Amino acid sequence: MAGSIPIQLKTDKEAAYAKKRAVKGSKLVPIVLTTIALLFFILMLIIPLISVFVKAFEQGANLYFASITDPIALKAIKLTLITIAITVPINTVFGLAAAWAIAKFKFKGKNLLITFIDLPFSISPVVAGLIFVLLFSTSHGLFAPLLNALGIKIIFAPPGIIIATIFVTLPFVARELIPLMEAQGTAEEEAALTLGASGWKTFWHITLPNIKWALLYGIMLTTARAAGEFGAVSVVSGHIRGLTNTVPLHVEILYNEYKFSAAFAVASLLTLIALVNLIVKNVAYSKMNRIHKAGEKKNVPEA
Amino acid sequence: MSIEIRDVSKTFDSYRALSDINLIIQTGELVALLGPSGSGKTTLLRIIAGLETADQGSIIFDGEDNTKKSTQDRKVGFVFQHYALFKHMTVFENIAFGLRVRPSKFRPSKEAIKKKVHELLELVKMEELANRYPSQLSGGQRQRIALARALAVEPKVLLLDEPFGALDAKVRKDLRRWLRKLHDEYPITSVFVTHDQEEALDVADRVVILNQGKIEQIGTPEEVYDNPANPFVYNFLGNVNLFHGRIHNGKVELGLFGADSDGGQGKDIVSYTRPHDIEIKLEPEGKEFIGSRITFIRAVGPIVKIELVRLDNGQYIEAEISKETYRKLGLKERHTVYVRPKDFKVFIPEDYVI
Repeated sequence: MAGSIPIQLKTDKEAAYAKKRAVKGSKLVPIVLTTIALLFFILMLIIPLISVFVKAFEQGANLYFASITDPIALKAIKLTLITIAITVPINTVFGLAAAWAIAKFKFKGKNLLITFIDLPFSISPVVAGLIFVLLFSTSHGLFAPLLNALGIKIIFAPPGIIIATIFVTLPFVARELIPLMEAQGTAEEEAALTLGASGWKTFWHITLPNIKWALLYGIMLTTARAAGEFGAVSVVSGHIRGLTNTVPLHVEILYNEYKFSAAFAVASLLTLIALVNLIVKNVAYSKMNRIHKAGEKKNVPEA
Repeated sequence: MSIEIRDVSKTFDSYRALSDINLIIQTGELVALLGPSGSGKTTLLRIIAGLETADQGSIIFDGEDNTKKSTQDRKVGFVFQHYALFKHMTVFENIAFGLRVRPSKFRPSKEAIKKKVHELLELVKMEELANRYPSQLSGGQRQRIALARALAVEPKVLLLDEPFGALDAKVRKDLRRWLRKLHDEYPITSVFVTHDQEEALDVADRVVILNQGKIEQIGTPEEVYDNPANPFVYNFLGNVNLFHGRIHNGKVELGLFGADSDGGQGKDIVSYTRPHDIEIKLEPEGKEFIGSRITFIRAVGPIVKIELVRLDNGQYIEAEISKETYRKLGLKERHTVYVRPKDFKVFIPEDYVI
């Protein structure tokens, strides 16, 4: 019995020490981690972003606006906008259909589909571009005889750029939606069906409202990538000024010609898309969380 | 509306969920599908609703074959275990949904929808919560809204999948009683799935007991409780004591005592006795009494639960006696007493395997 008292004291001391250390640690660790993250963030993201705009306006606002209203630049902007206008709807529909199928149905080859959706992420954009050259080139492509007979030009022409962009941006919408739709399950859709709603009405009134913010964010990511894609587009474009040059390719040409301010001026347009993206993402996430948080706060006890 | 289930079978991959189910549910009945998990009860309910398709067999509503009809054409009300309320809609919008999605020809006017929703909110006693979102409600409230939503489309059949499964005991009991009352006021044919035998026996007009995709017994709560068709039902509907014995000269011999039986000469048998049919005496008042030692007593409430161990073979016996009897006998733990099954049911093990 006598021996147990000092042991007791020792453990108390130890416990107190452990507690002290834990409190100390819990204050220091977040500060260190936050500082590291913030410094890295400023160094790698904020400074480069600001420098784009600083460089763009280096020689005054006049040159900035002259650079982006230059006829060749405007042609590049137009081609990029056309690419976005075609790519984004196609990949939105595909992404919705693929996510819907994967999340809500059981079918053979489901895992294969999931793997293939990720393929554009894991493949180098240059290789992606080359794949389409090998398929659609009018001189040595797989479909060359057919394309020559029909008189269609895909490679070194806007269709090639659009196809390559569709390939590269294919996963974004589906990737945003699959985890969310899988987590939501099919119960709400089943409930709508038992209440007499048709498949289309169920999709429109139940499924879509539940995924709209994730869908919007997926569309924004697709848009940003479609506007900014360089590698795959560069391979299939042929860099014909005013015809097959998109905004990123135009930036490269200006840069290679030592027109740095003009290059950064046009590049700042792409940067703006990224900033808009950030804002949309923030709004989307706060909207997604809003109802749940409101629920937690106002949760009422059983009446 | 009556529901007839004819020869329904369903297999998932290699797992046989339902085999040759035949069941007729009469108009206005409240029927419980009762069984352990994996017994196929939810699958059967989903097949009735058209949310799952049977591999074979047919579902007939009021004599009309509904097997090929889609869920939205069957006009069944379905209440899901986890409510499946529409998260992005208010309580009002949830209940109004079934009316609002009707084709414009059959859609009631805005005023009529509003009136109907408020009637239903009154019915489930939640008028003041019409503008809340589901995440702002408690579990019991959500389940009542789910029920109101299902009733809004005036279904001919109400199907409930473990409707109270996710609620705590007190709310569960309240809602159970409320459902029974609702069914008495609005006698709509209802089928509910449960794994809780107390719930099934308490609420249903008839109970269908399922096990491993087969119907074990159909009957009123009294019938299935008092006359279980087989050991599975006996076991599933409450605690039970087993006494092994033999049939000898037309008599059941359970260790030390005998009883009448109608056949099965010389066979091994098992007799089943509910805890409340065990009689406890301080002295052996006949050769059928078995000497046992009390190992545990729980005397909370009017029923006293006693656990005993047989002195001859160490088998465990559970008994329930009234507090009055308990006081009169003055039982204590580690006492040796003599027990006898007052009432029991005999099953021959070859015929049934639990």
